[in-house]
Amino acid sequence: MKTFLLACVAAVVIATVAGFALNAVQKPAEQAYSTTGVRL
Amino acid sequence: MARCLARARFIIGAWVVLLALAIALPASAQRNPDGSVNPTASAVKEQQLLDALQSGGSISGRVSIPDQKSANLIHPAGRDWRQFHEVTLRWIGAIAVLGMLIILVAFYLIRGQVKLESGYSGRRIVRFNAFERFVHWMTATCFIILALSGLNITFGKPLLMPLLGEGAFAAWAQWAKYAHNYLSFPFAIGVFCVLLMWIGGNIPNKVDVEWLKRGGGIVGHDHPPAYRFNAGQKMIYWIVVIGGTAVAISGYLLMFPFYATGIEGMQLAQTVHAIIAVLFVAAMLGHIYIGTIGMEGAFEAMGEGTVDVNWAKEHHALWLEQEMARTGPNESQRQPMATPAE
Repeated sequence: MKTFLLACVAAVVIATVAGFALNAVQKPAEQAYSTTGVRL
Repeated sequence: MARCLARARFIIGAWVVLLALAIALPASAQRNPDGSVNPTASAVKEQQLLDALQSGGSISGRVSIPDQKSANLIHPAGRDWRQFHEVTLRWIGAIAVLGMLIILVAFYLIRGQVKLESGYSGRRIVRFNAFERFVHWMTATCFIILALSGLNITFGKPLLMPLLGEGAFAAWAQWAKYAHNYLSFPFAIGVFCVLLMWIGGNIPNKVDVEWLKRGGGIVGHDHPPAYRFNAGQKMIYWIVVIGGTAVAISGYLLMFPFYATGIEGMQLAQTVHAIIAVLFVAAMLGHIYIGTIGMEGAFEAMGEGTVDVNWAKEHHALWLEQEMARTGPNESQRQPMATPAE
């Protein structure tokens, strides 16, 4: 049970780090697909 | 009167000149530089659009936003892709997943649980150490969430949305997609660890052929010998490694749209990702079945890390011999039943 819980925690930690990394690399669609003249 | 006639002649003449100019405009004015039909051209003909669609070409215009791909008005290949993910994929997924569930229920009702025929000896042997179980459970829990959130993409709209309503389904689908994207990373790491950790025991050999010939001890009550992993487990291993790698690569192509491929590559990646994923889910249902209710004593191997010596004797006799030769019978059998190898 301890190993299972540890595995779940590790998955959440890696996923969270990956989420921050992804958001740093990619812009939201409304920014990526608009011109510089558009104010959001 | 003469002035009126002269004015009329001038107007008629001007119209004739304009008409002649319109007719004389070259056809290239209706085409983009790449040869595709430009639907924003002032005098495009419907037949030209239909011809372009028939030949598989695209119909493009001009846009002022940075994404020039949005200038593509119609791309006929998109229709084939829509047909795939709206119809064909749902059939493949339903047949694979429901078919496997039906087979497993039927198998359980006919064969029942594979019992430990010699009973529990009370002596335990370590089957998987803590790191192996950690990697297994990290990969497995991620897989379950990836499978559910992935199936939601294919089946959620027709099955869940009528039950939840559009607003609730949209919220659920959005969070499911976040989970799908982010949990793919620990899953991919897990698949890579699985590859490295267990490849040594999963190379097919002659024992596997004999194991398969004798039905693996699952069909009937035979107990063909096996090393640490039998042929069935080796199949699961290679499905996880090859299938997991394929869904990871195709998934990251989708997660980073147009970084490495164009629209055709994106459609191909989605097709490959979806087909492998539903087959993967079906295969893992079989794995979950045999690892839980399908075989007595099997779950303990991954749950606690140890198995009963009689279980090892019945299902992995050659592995038990190796372990006993390596550690000695007293060493390998010393652990009492109540002591999990955490």
